Parts: sequence; structure tokens; C-alpha cells
Amino acid sequence: MIPEEVRQQLKDRFEVALTGPVHLTLYTKPGSSRLILPAGMGCPTCEDAREMAELLRDAAPEKVTLEQVDITRDDERAMTDDVNDVPTIAIASNSETGRIRFQGLPSGTEFPALIDAVERVSRAEPGLSDQSLAALARLTEPTEVMVFATPT
Amino acid sequence: MSLANRMALASPQIKAVCIEANEFPRLSNQFRVRGVPHTVINRRAAVVGALPERDFVAAVLEGAGVAVDEPHEAPSGPTTDVSG
Repeated sequence: MIPEEVRQQLKDRFEVALTGPVHLTLYTKPGSSRLILPAGMGCPTCEDAREMAELLRDAAPEKVTLEQVDITRDDERAMTDDVNDVPTIAIASNSETGRIRFQGLPSGTEFPALIDAVERVSRAEPGLSDQSLAALARLTEPTEVMVFATPT
Repeated sequence: MSLANRMALASPQIKAVCIEANEFPRLSNQFRVRGVPHTVINRRAAVVGALPERDFVAAVLEGAGVAVDEPHEAPSGPTTDVSG
């Protein structure tokens, strides 16, 4: 359960910080709860991830849209979007496949990174130096950057 | 993590995936994650630890096989090959 106070704080923050649309795609599997299941079955954190994604949408419903994809029912979509593990939250400025992704529940220290990503996508504001932008412009092939992190 | 996200926002070539290491132990083991943040580029090269923006950008370009001709200081974390 997310306290009302937190919801209000996020609404106040997004009211100022969001300028353009943000599209979230939440990829999940059903049949989870918190049961311990064999690896690859169920999804113990999908329900919490759904609650978190809905928190973001509800904080600014006029700017943030949320689409939910059950990868067990729509495996073609999962394959197209290259999503193998759940929960995954993808962030984009429109209905394109989001290239900013959070795999697993982005709680603890990862939650501020999730908020930051939503705000930056909304403002189309990478916040990188001109030197970094010029360097990144030299990338001509798809590049995957995986960052392993922990909530604490 | 924020830096990788910002790079994905700046370049249409980049996909940034923040992975909760404890939740995906098989993936963490596959890429030999022993500490965080642990960054893996194109499932080949790895950078351990947080880097300043300039070094992180250089590490990603290097991991993607793009020549980095501008001099930059050595990353504070080791860059290792995780392929094979």
C-alpha cells in the first residue's frame, strides 16, 4: 500500500516537472502473489510493480499513460519488444517501445531513478554535456547498456 | 543508473536496462555481478562501480566498439571482458 501522503507529493512534483507526454509499458506475468515458485514461474513482484506504475500514472493522468502487457498472453509483443523477464517497466515519450527500462521492482534507491527517468523523458532533457552528446552521436549500431543495481 | 537512462534519451541507438540484481540471480551470475552498480555493455564488456559522466560515456562507446579518440582518464572501476 502506498500512503496518500506519498501520492500527493508525487502529484505536486509532477505538476511542475512534467511538460510532455510519457508512455509507460508494464510487462508482467499473472499468477504471482508472494508465493515462492520455481525459477521462471510466476512473478512475485509483478503486483507491486503494477501498483508502482499506476502510482506514476495517477500522479499525472493527463500526461502519463500506462499500458499493461501480459507476456504469457502476448508472447509476440514480448518478442518484438525484446522483453524476457518481468516485471519490466519501459518508459517512452509516445507509444514507441521504451528504451529506458527497469527490470524488477524499482524500489529503494532505484525509485528516485525511475522518477528521474519519467521527468527527463517528459521534458526530453538528457542533461548531458555537449561533449557527451557529440560522442554518443557516433553510435550507429544498437547498443544495450545493462546496469545491475540493488534497492539498498 | 540515471546516467545510462539519460544516454538512452540522448541516443536512439541505446537501450538502458536497470536490473534489480537480487531479483534476477541467474542473470547476475551470468554476468558475474559481485557488486553494484555493475554495467554490462552489449553483453560483452563490463564496468564495475560508478563513473563520472565522461568516463561512463567513453566506456559505453568502447564497449560498443566505437573508437574513443579523445583522451580520457582511466575509469575508476575496472573494465573487463565478460564475453564467452
